[in-house]
Amino acid sequence: MIPRWITVAYFLYLASPIALLFIGSFGDLWLNSLLPTGITVKWYLDVAADPNFRRAFMASLFVAVMTSVACVAIGLPLAYAVFRTQSQRVRAAARVLYQLPVAMPALVLAFGFILVFSSDTLPWLGSIWLLVAGHIVLWLPYFLQTVVADMQRLGLRVLEDAAETLGSTPLQRFFHIVLPALRLSVLSGLIIVVALSIGEFQFSNLIAGFLNRTYPVVLLQAFYGATGFACAATVILLTLALIASFTGAFVARGAARLSVAGDER
Amino acid sequence: MTEMPSVRVEGASFSYPGGKAGVFDITIDIAPGELVVCIGPSGCGKTTLLKLITGLLPCSAGRVWLGGEDVTTASVRSRQCGIVFQSYALFPHMSVWENVAYPLRVRAVDRTERRRQAEAMLDTVGLRGYSERLPAALSGGQQQRVALARALVFKPRTLLLDEPLSALDAATRISMRDEIRRIQKQQNIASLLITHDRDEALSLADRVAVLRDGRLVQIAPPQELYDRPADAFVASFIGRTNLIDGRVVAPDAVDTAIGRIVTPAHAMPMGAAVRLLVRPERIEPSSTETGENVFAATVVHDRFFGASREIELSVGQGMLKIDTTVRGTIAHVHLPRQAVQFLPTH
Repeated sequence: MIPRWITVAYFLYLASPIALLFIGSFGDLWLNSLLPTGITVKWYLDVAADPNFRRAFMASLFVAVMTSVACVAIGLPLAYAVFRTQSQRVRAAARVLYQLPVAMPALVLAFGFILVFSSDTLPWLGSIWLLVAGHIVLWLPYFLQTVVADMQRLGLRVLEDAAETLGSTPLQRFFHIVLPALRLSVLSGLIIVVALSIGEFQFSNLIAGFLNRTYPVVLLQAFYGATGFACAATVILLTLALIASFTGAFVARGAARLSVAGDER
Repeated sequence: MTEMPSVRVEGASFSYPGGKAGVFDITIDIAPGELVVCIGPSGCGKTTLLKLITGLLPCSAGRVWLGGEDVTTASVRSRQCGIVFQSYALFPHMSVWENVAYPLRVRAVDRTERRRQAEAMLDTVGLRGYSERLPAALSGGQQQRVALARALVFKPRTLLLDEPLSALDAATRISMRDEIRRIQKQQNIASLLITHDRDEALSLADRVAVLRDGRLVQIAPPQELYDRPADAFVASFIGRTNLIDGRVVAPDAVDTAIGRIVTPAHAMPMGAAVRLLVRPERIEPSSTETGENVFAATVVHDRFFGASREIELSVGQGMLKIDTTVRGTIAHVHLPRQAVQFLPTH
């Protein structure tokens, strides 16, 4: 019985801030009471009408999409190279790369960027492209990890060998086997990247220029104003994150269903 | 089919970096329609040999011919080997018929025609009506059949099967074994099957090739392999054995830990160290207490399997294993003279 109570307590601990945010976002007036009074959607309309938030939302979206594009363009070939390599050195390098987000917090990366890109030779601080560049550094390892793991799980190596013995050219193998077999892996990798990118605060807060602040950065400002407004703005971010994680779970389940039982030995 | 063997491997060698594993100087011919089963303990180079034939690994020495053509330096895709991989390697995103039709697709056969051929081949392997399913929705045995159909549909020069039955449960394995044999005979294609299971090897093969440490120890029809193994390794790998070391004391007798064993006439010098092989099922419980090669025995271990018993006996200073259908107590055993073979000592 005790483990169940622990589970319930932990769930409450997790869920209560989210529940409060949700309640707060629909509450009309919330002053010094446990719960707000009145029901309204005005906070959402306010957020939607706020030019700062609209701009921030677009900036976040832009950064997430550009980071995704770069992950596919750079990450997919890189993942394939890591997967196919015989060299111990490349494998070691890949392991270091995977650990990078843990070893190097966003804060450290941001300070590095500030040092380098505030110089006269590289005066790009404040540019949205610099923000994108930083996000690529931060999220590429997650993408790589997802895709390489799926390549191993699918037994891509043997699939390619099979296709080769059946008479396909390298180009045919890439378009008939590698790409289609990996489409769900790429998708789930990208969902992780988008979810992380949209929610990122530390790095973006330090690097973003005033006109391309991302959503979480602007969100912080909201808490100096009306509580309901802040709650509504946060719920929007939360909804995006939930959508991403549910889509991710769904895609992962699809990928698992595709994997052939014979590979699981 | 040409008069040449469909597959000829001549003095093929390959060593992996580090030099500890690989295959060395392997020569095997496979005739059209013949099924050769290659057997050996894990790490003996079975799969390496298969990869040398397919071209997935290059020969460092020796040559490979397929259908009379020297393919030693030919590309993998031009060799036209149909392979059933251990993990089946079905393309997970393609339906059953698309998997089977894939070799035709890359040969630019048009869609209707390749669908027709794929369906025909699926019929052959007993998978009619499964065309539209995804591989993941099939059982292990069904996936195996798809892999087989895909490997055969483009009329390859040879069929190579890498431990095709190892991922299946015991019941499916036996029925699949017969299926593979049936389809292989029907297609009349030169085939090489890799396994580490001796029942599989003996029951499937036209000839069995035994590999050890990357070298071909013996290649022979199953019965010959069992009855006249080249050495103690082959003898014990392919069946249960009594290996008895002894010293020659007469032109037809050897002194061993069990006692003096009368053997078929031999040409060994007096006093030579020899190793004798007696298969457990050739040793009979004896009702008489004396006679040629009759020894008093004490049962040490008795395993009952219904139809037969596997018994370990203490005889003289040594041990004997016997397989028998005789019930009841056993106090004496008889080794028929003809059941005794000489093996080379290493």
